[in-house]
Amino acid sequence: MSSSKKGGVDRRVLLQGAAAGALIGATAPWLGATAAQAACGTLRAGITGFSVINTLDPGKASLIPEFYVLWGTFSALLKFEEGMALTGDLAESWEAVSPTVWRFNLREGVKFHDGREMTAEDVKFTLDRLRNEDFGSPHKSKFEAVSEVRVIDSHTVEIETKEPFAPLLSYLTNSRTGSQIVPKHVLENGDADSFARRPVGTGPFKVSELDPNVQVDLEANDDYFVPDQPTVKKVEMPLIPEESSGVTALLGGTIDITSTAPFADVPKLMEDPKVKVLKSGGLNTRFVEVNHRQPPFDDVHFRRACSLAFDRAAMVKIVVFGEGLPANGLIPAALSWAHSDSPREMVSYNAELAKAELEKSKYGPGAEAVVLTWGAGWWKRFAEVFVAQVNATLGTALRVEVSEANTVYSRLRAGDYQASIWGWLGLIDPDEYMYEILHSEGWRNFRGYSNPELDAMILEARGTADQKVRGDLYRKIEDVMLVDAPVLCCFESNVHNLMTPELEGFVQLPYSAYGSQLAAVTSC
Amino acid sequence: MRSFQFVASRVLGAVATMFVGALAVFLVMQAAPGDPALAALGESATPDAIAKFRAERNLDAPIAEQFVLWLEGIVGGDLGRSLTIAGGVSISELLLSRLPNTIFIGLYAILFALVISLAIGSVAAVRRGKMVDTVSTSVAALGVSMPDFWLGYVLIFFFALTLGWLPSYGFTNPGDSLSGALVTGLLPALAISAPMAAVFARTLRTALLENTSRDHVTVARSFGFSKGFIFRHFIFRNSIIPYVVVVGLQVRYLLGGVVVVERVFGVPGIGSLMVDAAFARDFPVVQACTVVFLTIVLAVNLTVDLVCAALDPKRIR
Repeated sequence: MSSSKKGGVDRRVLLQGAAAGALIGATAPWLGATAAQAACGTLRAGITGFSVINTLDPGKASLIPEFYVLWGTFSALLKFEEGMALTGDLAESWEAVSPTVWRFNLREGVKFHDGREMTAEDVKFTLDRLRNEDFGSPHKSKFEAVSEVRVIDSHTVEIETKEPFAPLLSYLTNSRTGSQIVPKHVLENGDADSFARRPVGTGPFKVSELDPNVQVDLEANDDYFVPDQPTVKKVEMPLIPEESSGVTALLGGTIDITSTAPFADVPKLMEDPKVKVLKSGGLNTRFVEVNHRQPPFDDVHFRRACSLAFDRAAMVKIVVFGEGLPANGLIPAALSWAHSDSPREMVSYNAELAKAELEKSKYGPGAEAVVLTWGAGWWKRFAEVFVAQVNATLGTALRVEVSEANTVYSRLRAGDYQASIWGWLGLIDPDEYMYEILHSEGWRNFRGYSNPELDAMILEARGTADQKVRGDLYRKIEDVMLVDAPVLCCFESNVHNLMTPELEGFVQLPYSAYGSQLAAVTSC
Repeated sequence: MRSFQFVASRVLGAVATMFVGALAVFLVMQAAPGDPALAALGESATPDAIAKFRAERNLDAPIAEQFVLWLEGIVGGDLGRSLTIAGGVSISELLLSRLPNTIFIGLYAILFALVISLAIGSVAAVRRGKMVDTVSTSVAALGVSMPDFWLGYVLIFFFALTLGWLPSYGFTNPGDSLSGALVTGLLPALAISAPMAAVFARTLRTALLENTSRDHVTVARSFGFSKGFIFRHFIFRNSIIPYVVVVGLQVRYLLGGVVVVERVFGVPGIGSLMVDAAFARDFPVVQACTVVFLTIVLAVNLTVDLVCAALDPKRIR
């Protein structure tokens, strides 16, 4: 309760009160939120940059805004701490019984929102449901390695995989893999549609209202198993499609915290005493996706020439206003145990080497290609900066074509493109970056890239339980990968939250733990 | 009898336009690139999940079959269910929760536009060539040339962020609190009404000036009628017809303004629903919103026709 906090709130109440008094009298009901906010009864946590929440069933959910809510409504067996270290969530402890069997000891006395106790049966039900063909979960492929989930007793469960599968623990966290534990007794006979709107979990908050495309309301779960959490009684999460409107809403006192921030505004907001800016390196990778089935990117020398022909640091400065890091591969710095810091030649600007590679290529200067992008903001700038630099260095005739995100994605999946800016957000395990993006069978490999040596190395890393050994393997895989330049790695961007100076207790995690971290808020 | 024929022909015309409009919207949405399954299932959707999503929602059926099904639904009052933006929710339910907000903002904006334009237009005409006239016509020119979303941001900057008088974002449903809706809707309504008010005012001023110099007004003056009486009965009454026509025509621009301004101010109305649905490839929702907009435009056009006919019976031939 610092004096500055008191002053800030008082002034805001006063101003809105003055406006209300001037217009129609000071007892108007919409002022309720402001009055409550002084005591932090209601936290107004904007979901900025998104407008769609389709389902709140973790097994079906896939969009980021859906998980913003789910992280606060559900718990999983494990979760990530700061620095991406694993810790228990519903599991009190876990151990490897054999290279293919993990045993989890569950916390006792954890209750679902409807009062029933969470047991090993619920864990088995959740994972079997994700693996079930008929259920059609977008996360099914993450759990294909699992061969059986066994209930040992009411609070012990074993998960067996067909082969040693190191990413399993990451996929069992409360992140974006759909493995949040759902109640068997509700879903076995219940209505899946109503569950998708009023989910029942074990997390710090319960969903009290879902107004599609408008707002989600949460209320505190008094039986939450973490002591003294949550302190906030109610959370309102309005969907604010424009990130810039989110800033306006925060500055105008309509919300207390945002889930993202527009890159362009961050440098200015950092100096604004009315806003607290949290930022850290994110779990994301941004690159230029190139099609190996079409000229000119079917030629490895041409791809290498392009990869050497642009300055990634300048790109970070211009495209995201310095809010990021030049890429040193695909695995971002936030996954420090698998990321490599030592500079790599293939992702460093080197005009001479680039021209030498172009000499070896079957396409000379003047080669033409279209680079797809979308929107009017930084995505468009991303493509423009890439094209301008590469053309200046190599004398090529690349050009930008502006489309729309959903259209570009459809074209990538159909193989109907030469090049496109692209990227992935919130991938928590190196296996997602390596297997899914680069392996011949990886579903994020749209370009038709195949290197049997690399495929074998990726599978080896998958089967390596020791994290240190596994991390070194990924560094080697990236060294091999960069020589092929399967995609042109560009940069990784920071994640941001904007909040009022009064808000305290919120901790930002690299994969954005928005909903779950709201439980830690102590004042707003 | 004649007036019945007049009304009947206009109504039939409106229904035919509705059908053609619905078909056009349907085809345009089908031709749009992108896939609702990708919007709903996200980037990480596997090909299996996408195929299942499309199959469950009949998205792979021939376009003609889908159109007939959709049309049958509409005629039977069933607008279908949302694909992506509110997975599985009935679209009628979505529209019903959103429509009051849009109607409220729209009427609020029209009210502003009417009051402002009647005052400015009349004063400018009566004081033609004077300072008041110059100032108000200049303001009107400014109003026409300012894009509504830009004006929206300017209003937010001054009234919400600088002065702190009004909320910067969000809207209170008029059903929950009328006073709340009046306050939170003030800036959006102003942003939409400014360009309309300017057009209305200019039209009114021109019409008033035109009528002032007509023979019957000169005759009325020679009879010695008072200035006020002449203005009310011989000038204003005749000038109001083009004014009403322009007001009617502007309603379609009003709807365009609503789409943009609702997003800027965070008003959960049909406009913002339609924009979000279009980005999320929620075809049935976009189609339903367009049908609603089409209905409103046609209803307003019909009303304008009828009002003009009532004001000037010679128009019915």
